[in-house]
Amino acid sequence: MMDDRSDEQLDEWIREAAHSYHSPPPAPAPREEMWHAIQAARRTANVRPIRRPIRWLAWSVGVAAVLALGVSIGLIIASDRSAPIPIAAGDDPSATTPQHVSAALAVVTTEYLTQAETFLTLFRDAVRTGGASSYASGTARHLLATNRLITDSPAGADPVLKELLQDLELVLAQIAQLSEDSWEGETDLITDGIEQRAVLTRLQTVVPAGTLRGAFSL
Amino acid sequence: MARSTDGRTAADDRRLVADVLAGDPAAERRLYDANVDRVYRLAYRLTGDPDLAQEFTQESFIRAFDRLETFRGDAKLSTWLNAVATSVIFNGLRKVKRFRQREVDLDLATQRASDRAEAEPDLKERLHGAIDDLPKGYRAVFLMHDVEGFTHEEIGRSLGIRPGTSKAQLSRARAKLRQSLAAFAGGITG
Repeated sequence: MMDDRSDEQLDEWIREAAHSYHSPPPAPAPREEMWHAIQAARRTANVRPIRRPIRWLAWSVGVAAVLALGVSIGLIIASDRSAPIPIAAGDDPSATTPQHVSAALAVVTTEYLTQAETFLTLFRDAVRTGGASSYASGTARHLLATNRLITDSPAGADPVLKELLQDLELVLAQIAQLSEDSWEGETDLITDGIEQRAVLTRLQTVVPAGTLRGAFSL
Repeated sequence: MARSTDGRTAADDRRLVADVLAGDPAAERRLYDANVDRVYRLAYRLTGDPDLAQEFTQESFIRAFDRLETFRGDAKLSTWLNAVATSVIFNGLRKVKRFRQREVDLDLATQRASDRAEAEPDLKERLHGAIDDLPKGYRAVFLMHDVEGFTHEEIGRSLGIRPGTSKAQLSRARAKLRQSLAAFAGGITG
């Protein structure tokens, strides 16, 4: 057992030796590089305002787009299950063949996945900038409903797409649960989940390049 | 009295903050220049990784500028910035830890197996390992006080704890480190 003097000597040695723990390099901090990064980030934040009312507006625009998409999917699925109906005004009802339904489903599925990708990107950015991610829950609920419609449709029979839709459902369900009272770590866990399941990467793989991503753009 | 490394007074801080909030870009740069080395140093000390230190320093200033209007002037600006930085660093480390946990587990398993076969690591390595093993709060207090020279008042404000708690945690941190190095104490003190 060590006495007090030994403790003091050991403490002194520890203090001295601890300076080599994670010792910053002798070179100065990369000031200019960091300053430019900070300025760039702040400029981006100014271009894309992050205050709650604006975000709320952005999510709301998203809700409208998703609702419209959900209605489209509903119509297509209905047309597949019952008598042929026109997909768009002016179409010849007799032209609504299974091929047409399949093509229409492919279009709305792509549109949905595009919206989901944009939404998750926005959500992740909102979490990173420390903000109003709870406003996303409404949009997530609508996307979730659309997700289930597509999963149940013939489009959901594709195994790769089905797996992606299932992972999306999990993420969207978590976001839909968010509220003003949610703790900060909850959003972090969701974004971690998005990363771990590579949801965004897989969405980007599935969605053709050049697809319009305007529904949630600010 | 809180340690002052930059010689700034509370009035200087308030004037600088007012200029930044008024949109003066030169004032923003002055605030950054006056504090960036210390924030980077702290981030490096707590992460041990140059990329993370840079990322967390940037994030600290982005957040500080974003929330500067909440600076009330009842603490030094540098202390307020420390609080922002430690929050960013700890949150960042938590995320990094989750991502890296699997890799670390694998690395540790390999490392421990090879450690047993090799000679004991030297004392500094053992100390570094012991610091790594300290609970997060103890480690932060120990590094901030014994290595970076912060006062308990500054640590308390930065970590959101009372100065007395900071003192107690430092004492426990030192005791744990002594305990970890006990087997080698004779070589150090003898």
